[in-house]
Amino acid sequence: MRRVARGDGRAFTELVEAYGPKLMAVATRLLGSRADAEDAVQRALLQSYQAARRYEPRWAVSTWLYRVLTNVCVDELRRRGVRAAHAASAAAEDHAPVFETPGDAGRRIDVARALAKVPREARVLLALHYVNGLGNAELARIRGISINTVKSQLARGKSILRAALAQGGHA
Amino acid sequence: MIRDRVDQLLVDYFKPAGAPPTLAPHVMRRAEGADREAEALLDRLAVSATPQGISLIRRGRQAPGASGPARRLIERAREELHDYLRGQRAYFSVPVDLHEAPEFQGKVLRAAGDIPFGQARPYAWVAKRIGHPGAVRAVGTALGKNPVPLIVPCHRVLKSDGGVGGYIFGTRLKGWLLEIERTTPVLEGCTSTRVVCRVGCAHLRRAKPKNRVVFASVEDALSVGYRACQACRPAQVA
Repeated sequence: MRRVARGDGRAFTELVEAYGPKLMAVATRLLGSRADAEDAVQRALLQSYQAARRYEPRWAVSTWLYRVLTNVCVDELRRRGVRAAHAASAAAEDHAPVFETPGDAGRRIDVARALAKVPREARVLLALHYVNGLGNAELARIRGISINTVKSQLARGKSILRAALAQGGHA
Repeated sequence: MIRDRVDQLLVDYFKPAGAPPTLAPHVMRRAEGADREAEALLDRLAVSATPQGISLIRRGRQAPGASGPARRLIERAREELHDYLRGQRAYFSVPVDLHEAPEFQGKVLRAAGDIPFGQARPYAWVAKRIGHPGAVRAVGTALGKNPVPLIVPCHRVLKSDGGVGGYIFGTRLKGWLLEIERTTPVLEGCTSTRVVCRVGCAHLRRAKPKNRVVFASVEDALSVGYRACQACRPAQVA
């Protein structure tokens, strides 16, 4: 990261290669479509690149990248909420979830539907937690909340999920 | 991490996805110049004010205000414009003085001012809102003569077919402003004070960049232990 701050293009490329896929996974699951996710990751990386000078070694690089990325994604979710409210019956949703393996498709739709019922903040935490196995302390730092809040949000999110999945005939 | 079936489902669901290979060079190219463009634009703008508020923004060389209060308003407006163009402000708090504008134009400008940050409406929407649904062209003309562009957001009014329409500083800039608004968050919280503000609030400006988190709504922020700022009252926007 210090090399990136000095304007080292190769260091930045390495960083993107190392974290790109995980950032993409978080963004894809939060935003639903791959195109939106690419856009979000790109914006997040752009911001990190521009702000590399302000990076503090006290923070893990991943914590910092995830903070920037979730900031972008959450704002995108807000914008969608506004758009949906304004054009209530506008064109049908084109943000269909992304499927890699056809066999999983059915189950993925169920999980995606169930996740849609989880409150936004909890959903963000769940995505970060399950993509990367991030611990509670790191989640707390990423979203700027207390560890206890992380714990209660995760637990609440999971119980809502469990209930929603049970309704759909899973779990 | 995997303790039950829900855990397993979630782990499967959140498997890492491949990143496009061209990401890094693309990002580095885009990073160049965004800041410079904002400063170059502000450099070419002249802001005028009366003691009541900002009265005119046009291309030209900045002249100092005629009186103390006007000077202070101009300074404040330039600061806010600077933040706005760099994607660090989602609202203007500096007052505008539209006394010079004719009655019809005043109505049009106030209607345009009601369009929230980051959104856009057609000319016909403005015409309907001021009670003259047939006066779409007149609305366009009134907006084209907007004395305080940028602060009164006439750039948020577009053609009904989705076209950009005209703009006093050129359509390219209009598109750029909409793009800025599309990527500027509206609500941010400070992680050390746990206060959520509108982006651009003085309280938030004191927070270090690393202490800022974006929220999608005030409700979301409250649900994870934040409280709303007393100064900028974010509940009005989201």
